[in-house]
Amino acid sequence: MNLQLNPEDLAFRDEVRAFLKANLSPEVIYRSRTEVHPPNEDDRRWWNGVLNKKGWAAPSWPKQYGGPGWTPIQRHLFEMECRLAGAPELRWQGLRLIGPVICEFASEALKKRYLPPILEGTEQWAQGFSEPGAGSDLASLKTTALLEGDEYVVNGQKLWTTEAGYSELGFFLVRTDTTSKHGGISMLIIDMKSPGVTVRPIEMINGDVSTYEVFLDNVRVPKGNLIGEPGSAWTQTKFLLANERTSSADIDKAQGDLRRIRDIARKTQKNGRPLLEDPVFRQQLAQLELEVEALDWAVLRVLCNAPSHHPVAASASVLKIRGSQLQHKLTRLAVDALGLRSLRLYSREDAFGASASDAWPELVPGVMVDHLYMRACTIYGGATEVQKNIIAKQAFGL
Amino acid sequence: MDFDFSDEQKMLTDSAARYVRERCDLDSRRKAAKTPDGFSRQHWAHFAQQGWQALTLPEAHGGLGLDMVDMAILMEELGRGLVAEPLVDSTILCGELLVSSRNEAVASELLPLLASGDALLALAHRENDGRCEYDTQVTARAKPVEQGWILNGSKHQVFYGNAATHLVVSAEISGEMGYNLFVLDVTSPGITMDVYPLIDGTRAADIHFSEVAVPPSAQIHSAGSAAKAMDSAVNNAIVALSAAALGSMEAVMAMTADYLKTREQYGQPLAKFQALKHRMAEMLVETEQARAMLFCALAALQGSDMQERRHAVSGLKVLMAQAGLFVAGQGIQLHGGIGVTEEYAVGHHYKALMVFEKRFGDSDFHLARRAQLLT
Ligand SMILES: Cc1cc2nc3c(=O)[nH]c(=O)nc-3n(C[C@H](O)[C@H](O)[C@H](O)COP(=O)(O)OP(=O)(O)OC[C@H]3O[C@@H](n4cnc5c(N)ncnc54)[C@H](O)[C@@H]3O)c2cc1C
Repeated sequence: MNLQLNPEDLAFRDEVRAFLKANLSPEVIYRSRTEVHPPNEDDRRWWNGVLNKKGWAAPSWPKQYGGPGWTPIQRHLFEMECRLAGAPELRWQGLRLIGPVICEFASEALKKRYLPPILEGTEQWAQGFSEPGAGSDLASLKTTALLEGDEYVVNGQKLWTTEAGYSELGFFLVRTDTTSKHGGISMLIIDMKSPGVTVRPIEMINGDVSTYEVFLDNVRVPKGNLIGEPGSAWTQTKFLLANERTSSADIDKAQGDLRRIRDIARKTQKNGRPLLEDPVFRQQLAQLELEVEALDWAVLRVLCNAPSHHPVAASASVLKIRGSQLQHKLTRLAVDALGLRSLRLYSREDAFGASASDAWPELVPGVMVDHLYMRACTIYGGATEVQKNIIAKQAFGL
Repeated sequence: MDFDFSDEQKMLTDSAARYVRERCDLDSRRKAAKTPDGFSRQHWAHFAQQGWQALTLPEAHGGLGLDMVDMAILMEELGRGLVAEPLVDSTILCGELLVSSRNEAVASELLPLLASGDALLALAHRENDGRCEYDTQVTARAKPVEQGWILNGSKHQVFYGNAATHLVVSAEISGEMGYNLFVLDVTSPGITMDVYPLIDGTRAADIHFSEVAVPPSAQIHSAGSAAKAMDSAVNNAIVALSAAALGSMEAVMAMTADYLKTREQYGQPLAKFQALKHRMAEMLVETEQARAMLFCALAALQGSDMQERRHAVSGLKVLMAQAGLFVAGQGIQLHGGIGVTEEYAVGHHYKALMVFEKRFGDSDFHLARRAQLLT
């Protein structure tokens, strides 16, 4: 057992830090740190390109397709440093979800066509899994894709397709065989500009639009856009989740949140002194800092395939549950630290525009909208209750 | 002891419940939030017809002379419908400051307008550095001149300041200790505002006073009585807002239980999952504790012991906010994705409860106050 980072890892971290310092402007950092949802799309595309030039855009991809060949620990360090430095959060749908699936399962033609623009950041993706009737119970999805000659004809309705309104492409779960429940589900790439694709924005609790309803009405898709064999979507989805086992812990965001809370508490007064000196507040912050530290080590254990008494599928759910609960608490403490000021609702323009004054310092925008948006993190990506069912089954056979 | 509603109280509940059911749907709330006022003038006018602005004001000045129990009954019903009209700010908070004033002239002039809904008052007390009404330093200054004072200063995040006809402003008179309270027409020369929306769709304003002429008749509390009057008025406001919070919680529980019965996943209604049934049960446990504290605080308001009132009101504020955010948070959770949309009411209740938690001293403030009062 070696519980320390290797010298190479430390050197790697220094290299990442230097790169981030050299490439991020204060404006970009400010916009990222507001945590406004969805983040600034131009920043994300630009940053994707910058990272790609360095060969760092797709940490989770195999080297032969453009990945940097890092160890899991290096990936982890990289993501943490990016977050703490205030780098734009890259779009996860292309880089983290469908990219690795294409690398693993798709035809050479699809790899050639779709992988490079993901690395460059020029084509962004949306994930079309959920439907009105298929949320937690994803397997009950109804959207069909039936073969007519060389094309699939797609009909159905997707819900919660995040960022569909400004994505070039989508990967959709569709039923290519309508006779079985779990079988017959396939993953299909659809150009969002295809005739028959309509998107409706959904206004969210935080006042912004980040997710969409997608209507698919006789959309014709080339047969070759199906990933792998028909009916193999579950295998692909399992692979995709295994690949992202620790990301739902949101540990880098949690560390960023701690930094933000400290910042607020340093600059906010309570009884004529900085809030950070208030003993009650310090206890609250210490409690959360402790929980984040424990989560960080739990993530490291999973990343390093640490031996465990319980199946790794249970560990992933443990990380998701604890990480998302922590998001509720961290974003709430940030709101509480700000106090009444947190209640102000900023427009996106104002939030990104850093229209700061003495009465409204620049650390105010985004704090409440982040908290409100993060109420969703115990719902998306497998709701807490469903994760608990998974743990009960995987760990205890219940 | 007797917790039963009188016939009048039953009528009040019924008429408020009917109004909320028929007129206060989410669409109308969302529309009102998009108007410059951030609330509905139509609702406000209806409230006036019903005498709701007049409810607690003295009969001698056009009020109905009812008490905080009646107000709480009304507010709970209105809270169910996400009512965002400034009933509490105008008639409870500022109303109480006028009622307790010894300035008979201004009280008899303004109270009838307040009772009829024609005047709308907002409290401009907290300043930049204060976390709440209790701990704010008042740096606004009223400089004595031959006829009254000249006022300079800024007030931060005045709720409903944008829509007010009059402002109750705190300021120190140069050379004195402690703040005074003045009531000013918003159109007085030298008053400017920066208005912005809050998360519940209402508006607040930063209000600046520059060389504003304040006539002698505007003084409603001198340094001797202002802080005590403020304490009382804020107590009442907290109790009234707590009742509205309780209404929110009841609404959330009702809509969540309905949703669980209709939404199906895995081939059965969500209501079949025991985990979710238990969550609903926990929500009720929290709500009932908070409701019990409401009565504790109402009892304390009927007494005259200021310490006891503070103790009970702080307790109510803490418990109601905790329970409220738990209930609305779980309401969102049990709805799944639809719970975090603007198109569905449960998220609006969460935001309303968040506003409640932050106003007039947050949970940390009130728990600290309870801790101080521990014997
Ligand atoms: C902000 C946001 C972004 C999203 N982005 C995407 C996206 O990009 N692409 C995509 O495909 N989807 C996306 N989703 C959808 C997300 O994955 C679903 O919301 C999620 O799967 C839950 O489904 P549901 O909303 O239909 O809730 P439901 O499944 O209806 O669940 C409602 C409640 O019931 C509980 N429940 C359900 N089943 C059980 C059970 N068996 N036992 C106990 N409790 C149960 C749930 O935990 C939840 O509390 C997003 C959702 C949100 C909110």
